[in-house]
Amino acid sequence: MSAHAAAKPRTRRRVPVVEGIALAVAALVVLMAVAGPLLAPYDPYAVDLSRSLLPPSAEHWLGTDSNGRDVLSRVLYGARVTLPATLVVIAASTLIGLLIGTLAALGGKVVDEVLMRITDIGLSLPAIILALGLAAALGPGLSSAVIALSLTWWPGYARLVRTLVREVKDAEYVDAARVMGVPQGRLIFRHILPNALNTLYVQTTVDVGAVMLVISGLSFIGVGAQVPSSEWGAMIAGEANNLTNAWWAVAFPGLALLLTALAFNLVGDWLRVRNDPTIRQEAR
Amino acid sequence: MSTDPLLRIRDLRVSYPAAGGMAEVVHGVDLDLAPGERVALVGESGSGKSVTARAVLRLDPDARLSGGIELEGVDLLGLPQRRMREIRGGRVGLVFQDPLASLNPVMTIGRQVMQPLVIRGVSRRVARRRAIELLERLGVRDAEHRVDDYPHQFSGGMRQRVVIAIAVIAEPALLIADEPTTALDVRVQARVLELLHELAAERGMSILLITHDLGIVAGFAERAVVMRHGRAVETGTVDQIYNAPRHDYTRALLAAVPRIGGDVTRPLAVIGAAGNAPEEEES
Ligand SMILES: Nc1ncnc2c1ncn2[C@@H]1O[C@H](COP(=O)(O)OP(=O)(O)OP(=O)(O)O)[C@@H](O)[C@H]1O
Ligand SMILES: [Mg+2]
Repeated sequence: MSAHAAAKPRTRRRVPVVEGIALAVAALVVLMAVAGPLLAPYDPYAVDLSRSLLPPSAEHWLGTDSNGRDVLSRVLYGARVTLPATLVVIAASTLIGLLIGTLAALGGKVVDEVLMRITDIGLSLPAIILALGLAAALGPGLSSAVIALSLTWWPGYARLVRTLVREVKDAEYVDAARVMGVPQGRLIFRHILPNALNTLYVQTTVDVGAVMLVISGLSFIGVGAQVPSSEWGAMIAGEANNLTNAWWAVAFPGLALLLTALAFNLVGDWLRVRNDPTIRQEAR
Repeated sequence: MSTDPLLRIRDLRVSYPAAGGMAEVVHGVDLDLAPGERVALVGESGSGKSVTARAVLRLDPDARLSGGIELEGVDLLGLPQRRMREIRGGRVGLVFQDPLASLNPVMTIGRQVMQPLVIRGVSRRVARRRAIELLERLGVRDAEHRVDDYPHQFSGGMRQRVVIAIAVIAEPALLIADEPTTALDVRVQARVLELLHELAAERGMSILLITHDLGIVAGFAERAVVMRHGRAVETGTVDQIYNAPRHDYTRALLAAVPRIGGDVTRPLAVIGAAGNAPEEEES
């Protein structure tokens, strides 16, 4: 390739070991969510009480639960429940947060004031209480948990987006673009938002783990995914009283949850560092 | 001068909101620029050079401007915002005081150079072609590929050329360069000024060069306006100003220039310049 290609590897530093593992785990979970049914050795819902609570073996790598269901298959299917639910919460919150935050930052004093009051109200809602309320109103279920969580999660993003947009809109390169006659709409969508989003998407990656834990937590206390579901929190709740005699039925979904949350967290942090312009400058 | 001026500034006053009213920072500046002419606006820090430059394009919404600014016979102070936007980047290009900060970090170099054309309806393909040609003309090697890089992959000197490319790609009649070289080391400074000079000559473009360094004016501009405390204290040809300064302040500025006479655009030997990489090897 051309001469400048030689300079490139210096700007893109290698992925450190821990983050590399985290990235691999996160990718594995995504793969599980996509290809779970192809990988799962058994039907995750097939009850066979004659095979209940078998310890891990060659036949059932992660053992079976109290209903004789294969834990590995259920953990694999669980990724299909927890991960999409998490992504829906993150996507909905990001969308609302982007809209409200951008409007607040660019819409003038009055708009800002009104939107920030609404955001404060959203921030003051505890997710669990709202989920309990929604579960009572709509019936318990994963969708109640997802709605409740989205309603409490977006205000953080609205705040973040507002701060980022306010910062970026005064950046010299935005002024420079304005000086070249770039119209307002293009200024917002091509210059301000892409720079603000850069930081936002790092935050959303970090948040995947947290949202996942809350969804599983809500399922665990009974207001999220309901019993036969292989959602990880629901799995733990279903087998919690077997913890002493059949640790595997609780430990493996718990481990899946823990590793996934941790993996997304580490990946997010790594992206944060990689995205930091000051660090990026030094790498040049 | 017999030709109609390209830019005619008369009694320009600029005020900014301050505690308890407006504070005037530019107190009546007159300035004329003929087509193709290079004029330097010189003065110490805080003398109002940048404020004057920004006023020409009405860039600060909270600044209050009075007096007259005419570009190609059109009164800019009376122009609606929409027309003003066509002038910015179209008829008048501006290079900022800190050009290194004026590139969008998440947009490729090519897209940024193309932008002034694209927003004026030029097709992407044509705009890209012209961006590459212009960057090559400005000494960016392998521009064909480098347009897809991001600003952080460019050195200071190369980013400076990119910023100049952005300012001139739409072929403005006037380029205002606000201390375009202060962020660069001396070797790169001289080369960039040379490029600006060549570009102006090729295109018949006028340049208003803003600087606090009278040392770089002589090889570059034909006339100079000396500003102090928001006023133009002396105007004349560079010869006049160098050889027969009328104002004490101009004399003081000249005394600050390390070497008078000789080739003033030649780089100085800089003490402690070890960190300044030779410019041609930069990427
Ligand atoms: N946006 C603003 N609001 C209020 N005052 C301003 C603003 N911009 C500049 N000023 C004031 O106007 C005066 C002239 O500033 P200006 O930036 O034009 O100086 P300058 O000659 O460009 O100096 P330098 O060489 O440091 O760039 C300064 O006293 C400055 O504080
Ligand atoms: Mg200035």
